[in-house]
Amino acid sequence: MADFGEPLAVTALSLARRFADDATLWCVAPEWPEHARHVAVEFVHPVLVGKRAFPAVSIESSDPATALRSLVRAGDVVLAISPGNSAPTTTVMRRAQAWGVTTLWLGAGPRPAMRAADHIVWIDDGADEVADEIATPAAYDGRLVLLYHVLWELTHVCFEHPGLLEVRSDPSCDDDVCITCSDEGRIGEVLTADSGGRARVRTAVGIETIDTTIVPTVVPGDLVLIHAGAAISEVP
Amino acid sequence: MSDATDFLYPFIEADERDAGSLLTDLAQSARAKQQASADLRRVTLDRSSDAIESAAAALAARLHHGGRLFVFGNGGSSTDAASLAALFIQPPWGQPFPARNLVADSAVLTALGNDVGFDLVFSRQLIAHADQRDVAIGLSTSGNSRNLLHAFSDAAARGLLTIGIAGYSGGEMAASPHVQHCLVVDADSVHRIQETQAAIGFALWSAVQARLSQPRRSNPEADDDEH
Repeated sequence: MADFGEPLAVTALSLARRFADDATLWCVAPEWPEHARHVAVEFVHPVLVGKRAFPAVSIESSDPATALRSLVRAGDVVLAISPGNSAPTTTVMRRAQAWGVTTLWLGAGPRPAMRAADHIVWIDDGADEVADEIATPAAYDGRLVLLYHVLWELTHVCFEHPGLLEVRSDPSCDDDVCITCSDEGRIGEVLTADSGGRARVRTAVGIETIDTTIVPTVVPGDLVLIHAGAAISEVP
Repeated sequence: MSDATDFLYPFIEADERDAGSLLTDLAQSARAKQQASADLRRVTLDRSSDAIESAAAALAARLHHGGRLFVFGNGGSSTDAASLAALFIQPPWGQPFPARNLVADSAVLTALGNDVGFDLVFSRQLIAHADQRDVAIGLSTSGNSRNLLHAFSDAAARGLLTIGIAGYSGGEMAASPHVQHCLVVDADSVHRIQETQAAIGFALWSAVQARLSQPRRSNPEADDDEH
């Protein structure tokens, strides 16, 4: 039995820190919508009397990115429970940096790309042996449920350690180089079609108008890499 | 792992700054729960194998004769019910069978809850939709949910096959004459119970598939795939 202890521990602490900073947890499971509902109800209405309720929401849509684009605030958390080849999930995850959200991806079966989310915790259930790629028994036999049950349990344990939950700095400044402040490449999501070589984009720090003269014509929803106030490339 | 009494002194750790030991404890706790879940699943499936096989045989017979499956539960169990219904209607492999999750329609659920009370939200739907060919499966960790007990009672009266999946010692569902097959996860953690209830549901579905699915070799479409 593959052990998910360490990745889940790191994921739970990250989620607890975001909750401590007033984040909402947005749950999506385009292929298995019942799992998103299950996670949300765990956090909102804990099974253990006296445990605190956390704001968690299930977004039921085959196109969750459209709903999340309006709903999420910078600092929130998006949790996906889906196969690693889930196209709608990938559409959400690629926008995470532009929206300023932390991303968690739990699943079974085919794995997502290594850096597709900030935290990936996976159950290897031998699904590769089954012809259909979404044929993952762990999604139905309780093992995926176990994964988010334990995430819930560990998140509550973290709240018994308030000293470890303080957010010391801007979450986007955790790296050695602060990408926001030094204006290294940042991801932005285009809000308005470019006009006269300018377009409005959403980034983790807000909405800004950037120069788009050196990239091909962009339309709303496109992702661009921004440096020094200009889109320097499209993000495929 | 934190001592069981740590919750009484939540601010003792307020000055804690090094997350390393917490992460070690969390990982250890996760592994222990993963092991406990796997052990409970194995023990329960072993102990219940005859009961699951017997429920699956009855369920397969109904489906084979044109019956439909209605699945329901509350809260987390409603999502496990949805998962079970999805397995039957849109199976990852094998043959699909007609199955409905009775919490899927919020208009129906809120209309019934508001007008006749939440205790009747499942039984009223069964009365509207189900007959003696059909099957009702309800999931409850306590085994005591009022709306499930009402549903089983009305289902049995209408001649449905009734299957309950419960936890703890089975609660009132285990004692009810209206629950023909009651599969119980003998544990006292809601989370561990739900995980193993899902495993029971999967075992039921697998057993039905084994009984009713056409063998792949004799499926003409499967042969076509090889050209």
